Amino acid sequence: MKDLMAERTVDTQKLKISARNVQVYYGDTHAIKDVNVDIEDKTVTAFIGPSGCGKSTFLRCINRMNDTIDVCRVQGDIMIDGEDIYDKRVDPVQLRAKVGMVFQKPNPFPKSIYDNVAYGPRIHGLAKNKADLDDIVERALRRGAIWNEVKDRLDAPGTGLSGGQQQRLCIARAVATEPEVLLMDEPCSALDPIATAQVEELIDELRQNYSVVIVTHSMQQAARVSQKTAFFHLGNLVEYGETGTIFTNPTDPRTESYITGRIG
Amino acid sequence: MTDMTSDTPHVHGTLLQADARTRKRNAAETRFKFYGILAIAVGLLMLVILLFNIVSRGTGAFTQTFVTLDVALVEDKLDKSGNRNIEEMKKVSTFGYAPLLKAAMTDMVEKTGMEGQISAADMAGILSKGAPAQLRDYVLANPDKVGQQVSFNFLASSRVDGYMKGRVSRESIANDKSISAEQLDFVDKLIEQGILKKKFNLSFITGADASDARPEAAGMGVAMLGSFFMMLVVLVLALPIGVAASIYLEEFAPKNWITDIIEVNISNLAAVPSIVFGILGLAVFINYMHLPTSAPLVGGLVLTLMTLPTIIISTRASLKAVPPSIRDAALGVGASKMQSVFHHVLPLAAPGILTGTIIGLAQALGETAPLLLIGMVGFIASNPPDGIASGLLAPNSAMPAQIYEWAKRADPAFYERAWGGIIILLVFLLAMNTIAVILRRRFERRW
Repeated sequence: MKDLMAERTVDTQKLKISARNVQVYYGDTHAIKDVNVDIEDKTVTAFIGPSGCGKSTFLRCINRMNDTIDVCRVQGDIMIDGEDIYDKRVDPVQLRAKVGMVFQKPNPFPKSIYDNVAYGPRIHGLAKNKADLDDIVERALRRGAIWNEVKDRLDAPGTGLSGGQQQRLCIARAVATEPEVLLMDEPCSALDPIATAQVEELIDELRQNYSVVIVTHSMQQAARVSQKTAFFHLGNLVEYGETGTIFTNPTDPRTESYITGRIG
Repeated sequence: MTDMTSDTPHVHGTLLQADARTRKRNAAETRFKFYGILAIAVGLLMLVILLFNIVSRGTGAFTQTFVTLDVALVEDKLDKSGNRNIEEMKKVSTFGYAPLLKAAMTDMVEKTGMEGQISAADMAGILSKGAPAQLRDYVLANPDKVGQQVSFNFLASSRVDGYMKGRVSRESIANDKSISAEQLDFVDKLIEQGILKKKFNLSFITGADASDARPEAAGMGVAMLGSFFMMLVVLVLALPIGVAASIYLEEFAPKNWITDIIEVNISNLAAVPSIVFGILGLAVFINYMHLPTSAPLVGGLVLTLMTLPTIIISTRASLKAVPPSIRDAALGVGASKMQSVFHHVLPLAAPGILTGTIIGLAQALGETAPLLLIGMVGFIASNPPDGIASGLLAPNSAMPAQIYEWAKRADPAFYERAWGGIIILLVFLLAMNTIAVILRRRFERRW
């Protein structure tokens, strides 16, 4: 395990997302308490922690999906490329084109595979014509590592694919809008081990182009795919650092307890 | 099991025999199942009785007794100048056609060898009072037939029709001035000769209402047209308004006390008695806005008010049933709220919305009370375009109102037509519900 970690050490990279003093409230519940984190570009950052620790909530702040929840309030600053995404002038719709998201449960639209991937480019006007759109769809499906499985049945419904294929289709759909950041909310929790392995391999490839933030319940998964890991506990960001360090030499006793299985 | 006080572990008895408590529980379950089956059986029995009654009483309205007569269209009487000028021929009233009928009847009596058995007046009583008018309509439509012998099927009078259908008997006519025993004897002979027959009567479905004197001629056609125009208004208004309101309330509106109040009130509106909507329509659309009474437009507006809550409730339910993951997926790729609703949520909710709309329409189609208040019970005795029941603003009736009107009249012949009208109405409702089921099956998508 240790050798594997050593290989993955990354150089200092460009800062992509930086959060400062982020507080999130659901009504009266204080869900995220004073979180500060810097997420680097072209890196996989994993958020781990026990259920209800706020890691998904924080993830959903990064593309303002929490806006759709009426009782949710976000305070503090989240900057992407130095721009405050909670600024009044920022349209969340535009933000979400830049910050794509993949959800816990594969949720393809009940449409054809092609239309699933083409939907984003269509509404954002990324394709000039049909051939252009075909190219975008093919590129996205290739990046989603699913092109070879579906290239002969692009008209088949996306909901007819297996769970793992559906999730890779959803990744392709997210990639099709050319985002810069990709948020993944427990993308493998509904998948079997083989599909999980495929998606994890894909996440590692995606790192070349995107800044990937992944929430996961599985510490092994965090260890396998991420370069940076953040440990959340009861709404606090307890520890954040190189994945190798977090898993082998955590500084906070809570992190150690969680990693060794004493809490969580 | 019940022995909780002792510290010794409980020993269960044999499993091969149920203990008293278990037996009691099982008996209660059996009883409950029996009550359930009983309740369903009672419901089914009621339904069977209802259907049996409707069908047995109503089917008679779809057949009618006809008398076949050869009538000589004498030129002297119908077109004195002989140049077939329609305007001149119109001057001969239905009264002028009566002698032709009389001659045809006499002719028929002679041919069948029944002279002297019946008086001329009694003979005329066999036919519907509308027979001369039927003859006149035919002649004015086909002026070239004047001077020839033409065979007609005339409606028999409602008493003769009742005799054929068993509604009128020799005992029941003791105090009836409209028909005599001699006439019935004559009718028996006509049946033997094959001149008087019961046939399917299309004009009950397509025809217009008729006066008290000739129930045999009354039909549902015009009322159907009135109902059709009203449903058109309801569909055009209630569907877009209802769907727009539901989408706003379900997807866009903030959840606060104002929307809570609106929500409660929409549910309450669905339970408001329809007659309340009727008097509201009378006050607002007719007395205040001065829209014409008896018009399908006003009827449609009132029924729209009534149908809106139904459509809104069912639309909101089907919007709610769309999984939130679809909304997340659309928002996640950068769709706006409106795009996510119109591109993804609405298509998935469409079958439910359509079903709710059709159920609402079917409910509106059968509604009578509000129509009585706004005067949608017009007596329209001729078919459009001749008649006036030709548009949204022309006076008209509606199917349930027509049924009510017929049921109100004294003559049992109208009573039979009321049952027949109910069959037509039920066929419409059944058809609409079937369409709703088919649409739901067809467009339902699984995810």
